[in-house]
Order: sequence, then structure tokens, then C-alpha cells
Amino acid sequence: MIAVLDYGIGNLRSAEKALQKVGADARLVEDPDLAATAAGIVLPGVGAFGRCAAALESSGLGAVARDAADRGLPFLGICVGFQLLYEGSEEDPAAEGLGILDGTVRRLPNGVKHPQMQWNVLESTHSRLLAGVPDPAWVYFVHSYAPERTGDTTATCDYGGPVVAVAERGPVWGTQFHPEKSGAVGLGILSNFVAAVDAATPGFPSGDG
Amino acid sequence: MDLYPAIDIRDGGAVRLTQGDFDRQSEYGDPVELAVRFAADGAPWLHVVDLDAARTGQPVNRATVLAIAAAVPVPIETGGGVRALSDVEELLSGGVARVVLGTAALDDPTLVQRATAAFPGRVALGLDYRRTPDGRSEVAVRGWEDGSGRTVGELLTEVAGSGLAAVIVTAIERDGMLTGPDLDGLATVLASTEVPVIASGGVGSVADIEALASLSVETAAGAAHLHGAITGKALVDGRMTVAEGVAACARFG
Repeated sequence: MIAVLDYGIGNLRSAEKALQKVGADARLVEDPDLAATAAGIVLPGVGAFGRCAAALESSGLGAVARDAADRGLPFLGICVGFQLLYEGSEEDPAAEGLGILDGTVRRLPNGVKHPQMQWNVLESTHSRLLAGVPDPAWVYFVHSYAPERTGDTTATCDYGGPVVAVAERGPVWGTQFHPEKSGAVGLGILSNFVAAVDAATPGFPSGDG
Repeated sequence: MDLYPAIDIRDGGAVRLTQGDFDRQSEYGDPVELAVRFAADGAPWLHVVDLDAARTGQPVNRATVLAIAAAVPVPIETGGGVRALSDVEELLSGGVARVVLGTAALDDPTLVQRATAAFPGRVALGLDYRRTPDGRSEVAVRGWEDGSGRTVGELLTEVAGSGLAAVIVTAIERDGMLTGPDLDGLATVLASTEVPVIASGGVGSVADIEALASLSVETAAGAAHLHGAITGKALVDGRMTVAEGVAACARFG
């Protein structure tokens, strides 16, 4: 089971439905004990970094997320959920991220509209998450902040300069854009994540799940 | 330019009106199924309108709109009956990407400011117009049954600098007619606003999409182009596929 962490920050149905569409046993999960049994974790997020970080901790799912990353479970952060993987954000300097990835989330460059809310094309190198998806890969963004570029960055988009769009470190993956709203490219990305979960699940495909 | 296949909902079903006339209606089945099909065919956006709500202000098809937002892997924008900040909030938190204000923005001029301040980048303004005998573009309200007495240009001036994500300009007399878009009217709009413009009404063929995509107007800030084109009847009547429409958009950037 893939747990889409539901920590009370809004509507996550489209993430759940898109994962189901590519064949995953994906469920919205509020209960930390149930989430701890998942074979893969999806951490979505919408709105402000600080509010999401606080909601994640108070729900008890923050601890589940850190533990899942420590155990090497396939992990996908989406939008603000991607940002939460980092140490912190300029948006809410007092708030702490999960610290699973090194680096900080920064405001988009000046001179362009905030938020970036549009389809944009990815420039990627050696991305496993983007393997086999249509090229050029157009994906849908809604954000005013993005993680800084680090050694984990595998794709960027051009928005007043290169803006981090995908990062990958071992089994931990994240997208600044919304794969669940990015049509065929997005479904391909989710499908790659689901395949990684399946490959990491003991007994797959003969197990009874 | 992005293609926005349109889905209009009345009494829970997908319909298309001709020139906004509620008595001239064609029916196209389940709106969620239609939305899923458009998205699977490559639509980058969907434009969803609650026609009953546009006319009465009662959001009777809101559950269907939110069901579409959950069901499709692409962003949707929606309008019709969005008359208060609470409507905007309910739709955005329900999974809609962008909300279109119409009549409400004319009755309550502060609504645009309040909505764009609360939800930057996620609020658009719909301006639906008819040509008056003296050539002005008069904005219509309440499901297009009434005129507002104000022109597209006047309203664009009022909302300048408010942070709208887009203005959706609909030529009512072209809507559902398949006779081609109002390119002159759109050129005037492009020249008079810095807000991204999405064109609606009259698209009947791939050539019409190409004409919209290649429309270019010189302004002080450089060449202005349309950001989107909405099309409904041409798709459901089989005059153009979503894939053909998307390809025509891309051909001109």
C-alpha cells in the first residue's frame, strides 16, 4: 500500500486518484500507525510552508515520514510536500522542514510573476523519476518558492532562471510541480514511482500484499 | 497558447448552448466522463462552467465540478455562480486550479481585489460581451441574459493591477456558432490589458485555433499574444480533436 499522507491541509483526492489510475494501491492515510505499514510514502502539500510543517508534525505523520526515509522506503514529495523534505524555507524561517534532503527552499527569482502557475518544460539529467516520459516533458506548476539547487537536483524549469523541479536522492524523490495534474507526463512519473515501490516491496509480485 | 476544452454543465449533464441561449441546447452525457476523455486526449486544461449557477447564482452543479477536478490529471478552471469569496475558497480547496469571477465582479467591485489578494495567481475574470449597434463591446451578466451597460475596455481598466491570473473574453454572438473567433475584438483586448487573455467563442476548426495562436499585437511592453483558447462545440461535434487543437496551439508557440 502507498500511503498518501493526509495531514489536514486540503484536498488530496486528485493525488490519490492519479496514483490509482496508474495501478497503485494508494490511499489517503491520516492514522500514523497505518501509515507506518505502507510500502511507499507520498507527501503532498499545498499552501504555506510553515502551516504545512506544523500540520505535519501535529498530525503525528511527520515522525512517520522521517522514519520511512530512514528505513529507505520509496518516498515522493509533491509541491510543498517536496519543499518539506528540506531543512527549511525562506517563506517561514521559523519553521523546520523534515531535513531529509540538504538545503533550503528559496523564493522564486525577482522579475517574474509569483506564483508561477502554468505549464512549463523540464530540463533533466539522469533522472530516474522522468525515465521514459514524453520529451519534451511539460508539467504543471503552482508555487512561489522552490528548493535551492543541490547535488540532488535532477531537473529544472526556466522561470526567471533555472528553478529546481525534481530532486532525487536514493529512494527519496520530489517534484516541485504537480504530477497528478500534469497529464500523460505526470502519470508516467507517478508510474515510475509506483514501479519503484513495487520493486522495493518484499515478495513482489508474487506476494499477497 | 494553451487549449482549454470546455465543459458546460446543466442539470448535472454536459451540454452546449448556442449563443448562450438556454433554449438552444445540445446534450453530451456525463460531464465527468467527457472531462476524463478530454484529459486523456492531451488537454492541458479544462474550462468547466456551471450554467445553472451562472444564471441563478445557486451552485447546483458544484459537486460535479469538484468531481471533475478530482477525476482528471490536469488543472481545471471553473466559473458560473462564483459570487462570493467563500465560493472561490470552496472551489480552490476542493481541487480546482483557477476560479473565474463573472457577474459577481460587476456587482461587487471589491471582490476581484479581495479574491486576488487572498488567492494570488488563481483567480480569473470572465468578461462575456455582445457587440452593440454602435460597435461597442458590452459586457453581459447573469448567464448572459442581461447587459451590464459597461464595455470590456472599461472593466479592464477598473481591474488593472489587481493581480488577476487571466481574463477570459467570450464573444457571445460567436459562442456555439463555429463561425470563427472575433479576432478584431480580441486584438483590442490584447492591446488594452497586461493580464493574460484567454479567448472564447466561435472556434469551429483547427484553422481558427491557428488564427488565435498566431494573433499578435504590438504593445508598449512588446508583442502580446493570447494565453489560451477555449473550445467546446468544435470538439464534441467532431470538427477537431483535442490532439489537433493542442498541435495547432503549439505550432505558433
